[in-house]
Amino acid sequence: MTKEACEKSVRRSMGILPMSRRAILALPGVAFHGRDAFDTWLALVVLGLLGACVTWGAQDDKVAQLAKEVGAKGWIVYAARDDSGTWDLFLMRPDGSQRRDITNTPDFEEGGPRFSPDGKKLLYRRFARGVVIDHDKWGFQGNLMIAENDGSKPVQIGGDREYPWASWSPDGRQIACLALKGIQIVDLETKKVVREFPRKGIYQQLFWSPDGKWFCGVANTRMMWTIVRMNAESGELNVVHEFQSCTPDWFADSARIVYPSRPAGQSGNNGQGFTQLWYSDGDGKDAKMIYGEDGYHIYGGALSPDSRYVLFTRCPQDGGGSERSGAPICIMRMADAPAIGGASPELRKVHPEAKDSPVVQLVEGWEPCWTYTEIGAQK
Amino acid sequence: MRIASSLIFLSALLVASCAKKPDTGEDPKVTTLGSIEVTAQLVEIRGALINDPLYDYAHVMKYKLLQIHRGEVNKETMYIGHYDPAKPRDKVADARVREIGGNVRQFRVGDIHRMALEVPIDDYYMGGIINKYFGEVNEPAYWAIWTNRVVK
Repeated sequence: MTKEACEKSVRRSMGILPMSRRAILALPGVAFHGRDAFDTWLALVVLGLLGACVTWGAQDDKVAQLAKEVGAKGWIVYAARDDSGTWDLFLMRPDGSQRRDITNTPDFEEGGPRFSPDGKKLLYRRFARGVVIDHDKWGFQGNLMIAENDGSKPVQIGGDREYPWASWSPDGRQIACLALKGIQIVDLETKKVVREFPRKGIYQQLFWSPDGKWFCGVANTRMMWTIVRMNAESGELNVVHEFQSCTPDWFADSARIVYPSRPAGQSGNNGQGFTQLWYSDGDGKDAKMIYGEDGYHIYGGALSPDSRYVLFTRCPQDGGGSERSGAPICIMRMADAPAIGGASPELRKVHPEAKDSPVVQLVEGWEPCWTYTEIGAQK
Repeated sequence: MRIASSLIFLSALLVASCAKKPDTGEDPKVTTLGSIEVTAQLVEIRGALINDPLYDYAHVMKYKLLQIHRGEVNKETMYIGHYDPAKPRDKVADARVREIGGNVRQFRVGDIHRMALEVPIDDYYMGGIINKYFGEVNEPAYWAIWTNRVVK
């Protein structure tokens, strides 16, 4: 295969791009002297490209296989810019097919969608048109909305900034909110606070575990940006992961928590480092990296309903992209973790066991959420 | 000789006119907001103030209490959290913290501030807190609502 043919193949398959390719394309400049040296260099380049194409082809196959594997496994909801430039909610199959705008509201911005545990309803926040969705404050911006899983019958719950950081209870009949006063459990039918208890330093991204026994969130403990787990009954708090960690979410077993984390000691990004996707046991033990890539911040970590696959976004800028247009949504098998994308030489030194795992890269979006519940045709 | 004397006199006049006038920091906001109002001297800022457009934090600073105007304060040393302290107080209000302000433009050790406060900080602010006194100080940190500069 020639270099041109190889690159053509690359362009053709940009829709689902194996993560390792980008680094291979970014060949460093090479100095050479004399005709023989040039011929040798050329031969090496051709051989290298041939090898790379074989590798890419194999990786393409693996990515296509993963896309096929997940394609019929329910739906992903996410926020993305529509044609008018406002944020809407979209549904797509996990292979990126059957994408459709389910809010289509040119007068509003929408974001932060979460399927109810049974997959029948959607909870999200709606903001006035033109509001910049702050990746760090969106949970108390705008209005809480609840709709059917296809976006139909949207109902506004409360007024502006009410029900902050709302998340579903396991049975979908209540929501847990993170307010200044504390954690409030609100009955959705009566809209009454049925229980309230101290938030103990948790300040954003509160999520109720599928078994109802725990909450996870981001807290100030010894330091800020600490992932914590709170016993839903006693209010007792334990640290899951300290230092530069955020947006936690639960595995289906309620025993493990996925979260983006930016470990110290990275030289990239002017010494600030890049955010990687990690998971730990709820008691804070056994922290492991799922996916990392130097040059990209990995946010939006969320599991498939059976925890076999993981969703994340891959953004060159910090913050996940809610202030701009989001970032490419990616899917990977949990069985393929830990994985590293791109060249990432620094990260590979820290995680020599990490693989070049197949990653399906989909459209740009923000805060994706996955359900295996079937959603009917567009209404 | 006469010219030199005139120059010295003019210079002295200029210096005198540039000297800051005494200011108690009192204004309608600092005297009414919050449940506590104090004048205190900033004695220590632990850690660097973060100026990142993507994130907003409260930073806890150490103060020496000079005068109580309203409310009750039992200790001479106070730990006070200022929101986004790299920004001037009149530019700091945002979607997270709406009622906050004052005329302090920069936090400098040694400066004296008149502040409207609440306590504990967690009851009035929900966001990241940089508290380099964690584990060393057991008393709760105060939350600064309004911060004016005092000139003695």
